[in-house]
Amino acid sequence: MSAVARPATASAVRAEHVVMACAAAALTVLVILPLVSLGWGSVSEDGALTLAHFREAFSKRLYLTALTNSLILGAWTAVLSVAVGLPLAWAVSRTNLPARRFVHLTAVVSYITPPYLTAIAFVNLFGPNAGLVNVFVRDVLGAPALTFNVFSMAGLVLVTVPHTFPFVYLLAASALESVDASMEESAQMLGAGRWRTARAVTAPLVAPAVLSGALIAFVNAIALFGSQAIVGLPGRVFTLPTRIYALFDHPPQYGLASAMSLIFVALTVAALAVQRRYLARRSYVTVGGKGSRPQRIDLGRARWALLGFCVLVFVVAVLAPYLTLLAVSLSKSWGLAFWQNLTLKNYRFVLLEYDVTRRAIANSLLLASAAATLAVVLGSLVAWLDLRTTLAGRKVMDYASLVPLGLPGIVVAVAMIQFWLRVPVPIYGTLLIILLAYTGRYVPLAVRSASAAFRQIDPALEETARITGAGWLRTFRAVSLPLARPGLFAGWLLVFVPAIQELSASILLFSSGSMTLAVAVYNLYETGYLEPVAALAIVTMVIIVAAVALASRLAGGRPGMDRPTVAA
Amino acid sequence: MAGIALDGVTKRFGAVVAVRDVTLSVADREFVTLLGPSGCGKTTLLRLIAGFVRPDAGEIRVDGAALSTPERVVPPEQRGMGMVFQSYAVWPHKTVYENVAFGLEVRRVPRAEVRARVARVLELVNLGGLEARYPAQLSGGQQQRVALARSLVVEPSILLLDEPLSNLDAKLRERMRGELKELQRRTGITFVYVTHDQAEAMALSDRIAVMAEGRVLQYGGPREVYARPASRAVADFMGLVNIVPGRVVRAAGEASLVAVCGEHTVAVPLPPGAAEGQAVQVAVRPESLALTGEGIAGKVVEATYLGNLVDCHVTLQDGTRVRVQAGSGESLAVGQRVRVSVDGAACTVFLERSAS
Repeated sequence: MSAVARPATASAVRAEHVVMACAAAALTVLVILPLVSLGWGSVSEDGALTLAHFREAFSKRLYLTALTNSLILGAWTAVLSVAVGLPLAWAVSRTNLPARRFVHLTAVVSYITPPYLTAIAFVNLFGPNAGLVNVFVRDVLGAPALTFNVFSMAGLVLVTVPHTFPFVYLLAASALESVDASMEESAQMLGAGRWRTARAVTAPLVAPAVLSGALIAFVNAIALFGSQAIVGLPGRVFTLPTRIYALFDHPPQYGLASAMSLIFVALTVAALAVQRRYLARRSYVTVGGKGSRPQRIDLGRARWALLGFCVLVFVVAVLAPYLTLLAVSLSKSWGLAFWQNLTLKNYRFVLLEYDVTRRAIANSLLLASAAATLAVVLGSLVAWLDLRTTLAGRKVMDYASLVPLGLPGIVVAVAMIQFWLRVPVPIYGTLLIILLAYTGRYVPLAVRSASAAFRQIDPALEETARITGAGWLRTFRAVSLPLARPGLFAGWLLVFVPAIQELSASILLFSSGSMTLAVAVYNLYETGYLEPVAALAIVTMVIIVAAVALASRLAGGRPGMDRPTVAA
Repeated sequence: MAGIALDGVTKRFGAVVAVRDVTLSVADREFVTLLGPSGCGKTTLLRLIAGFVRPDAGEIRVDGAALSTPERVVPPEQRGMGMVFQSYAVWPHKTVYENVAFGLEVRRVPRAEVRARVARVLELVNLGGLEARYPAQLSGGQQQRVALARSLVVEPSILLLDEPLSNLDAKLRERMRGELKELQRRTGITFVYVTHDQAEAMALSDRIAVMAEGRVLQYGGPREVYARPASRAVADFMGLVNIVPGRVVRAAGEASLVAVCGEHTVAVPLPPGAAEGQAVQVAVRPESLALTGEGIAGKVVEATYLGNLVDCHVTLQDGTRVRVQAGSGESLAVGQRVRVSVDGAACTVFLERSAS
């Protein structure tokens, strides 16, 4: 697909440049400048260059422990994500396991659930004093040794894995489905049984995808502020995000926070670099020509054991958190006999009475929608420039737009703070800075979606319009945009869902006037209002599920997008 | 002895009948080709023999032992057959040596013997010295030879090949064709080969099973299938053919007479059951027609010079259009009046039916 050769009309050339300038300006403000400020802030104190911040970060026990804990958390999460995600992927894509759809749904629901909700739910279940399961085991069963304290590294891993195993699951399932059947059949013809074939042929072919998933799980796990604050802090398990957050107590230590943020980024970028290089060297996507899908393995009686495992995952990752939150939200007071006093007053409280939560809901809806829209617009510009023009520097812009992928949420916040405090524009503490943070954070998702959407359009479709006389804007509106719309819509949703539940950056950027949904949840939790917190959590999930359902209804209601419309 | 016997084998995929009541047998050491267009069921039939697909009806026996029935299918790994796939399916994460040695390792052959046998078979397929290479570093033709070597090293009695040459360019294809034939002759392995290329089938096979829509239309040697096609469909598939309407003048077996284009009689062999006066269709190939001075009158409507011959389209006096191959020396102009002579012995007559 070569770029379209443009007629050298002055207006076309100027338009492209304007678009490029706008996109570049937006990316600069959203991504580049904040990062530069972060870098500058980490090596300066009162205007002078210094390495004191880094020295402090690497010498004080407080910070080294945080770094170590983050590494341990990430490693354990990655390993368990593979232990859960790979069997599930194999079960769904290769075997005749019954209820495969249900397993797939488990992974999807786990993925879209905000991690801090799972953390709160598990605190309600396994809190050392008041956790329902612990109370039951201790008082009813009389076995205090069997209680589980969720406020520990083990508890932290437990509440994180449900949100990271879907990465391994999705990548592994995709890889397993794309192994050409003949690869495995040729091993069978040579006498290898099912397990030998899996070991010698299938496993090596999907290993890069599985490892890639594990690394992505690692990167995501260490960046989750919510669960690490809710579960880690009470157990005195400090990690990088919570340490950085603590640095913003009065007086805020911007320099040290910046230095720690850069260390955090380095960790993330290193993991992503390993993932890219390893994958690039051994990309084994193998479906080609008349390749066919491998046949499903009949597990016989073993399938019930596997199904049992899948059900266990469902219970831990989906059923337990949601049922718990639902139960807590409907109870007057959370305890063993909670069902005797069910009420809707918590919902009434957060939805109608409590001003803070009402505004938070409205703010988050507004911010997420706006951020998604801005991100998709910016992403479309970047993608269009990259795919349909030959302007110099468009590749650089494409890479720049992908930079936020390597930035943990809290680092984005620190960078934003560093930049906007120096600039004489008073947006710190307003909704605007949160909007910019969301947009900057999620623009890579929008760029990727837009790029995929435009890539699918054969340039010939646009060239036909141009030859019949339509200018580039007319062509874009009449041909490119309608054809790309489903993909752009998917991109919008891809940004909306994480934006509405975003916590790691919001926690540093909010103010009493610009509260977001996740921060409201966190604050309510911190003040100990268990029952309203659960109600607000359920409200969050309802919004997310409604958005996803609405979006798939709207996107699915456009059949025939791939059929060419011939003018009658 | 490794003869394959298929008995009434049928396979359905939902509403589609991929293989319909196929009965044929492959003798030991024979090279048999399943030939037909896309969707005719030849690959399904091959996979039935390999054991990847369970038949809905019928039986597949090898050396008398039933390997596939609707109730029970011996799994592929226990059949001791070899298979070369169209995509070669050479494992990208293993070297050439590891690819070829795999089957021997599964059979727990001692390491020294593995090395020796792998070296020998690589020499056999002209890949000596490339043991340490990875498939990504090999050309298409080399990868295909790795796939071949991998199947041959375990010395199967039957080798199944699914269009192994279709991904190669024309020159390489022809060379590999020769090497495959030579290989089969030397090793004596029974080859079951699938292709849609009739020239390939004719060059390689002892017998060809011409298939369409899940059925075997004809099963015989290349000469038989080409010169004595069993039906119009087979005649059509195996190269160019002219169909000329005619009428039986004298029904006398090999010495019958059929009139074409009015009163021109041609001595052709008739199928049994032909009655005098019956309308028939005479199938005659372009190379069996000649533009000599005598025969049926006609007019040239198209003459294309192809280098080694001239491809002519001639309209006969009754309006039938036929294709004739003339020598490259002849100069033929459009509109020229010619006479077409028919080599009756090379014709096949089909009793009148619209299509068969």
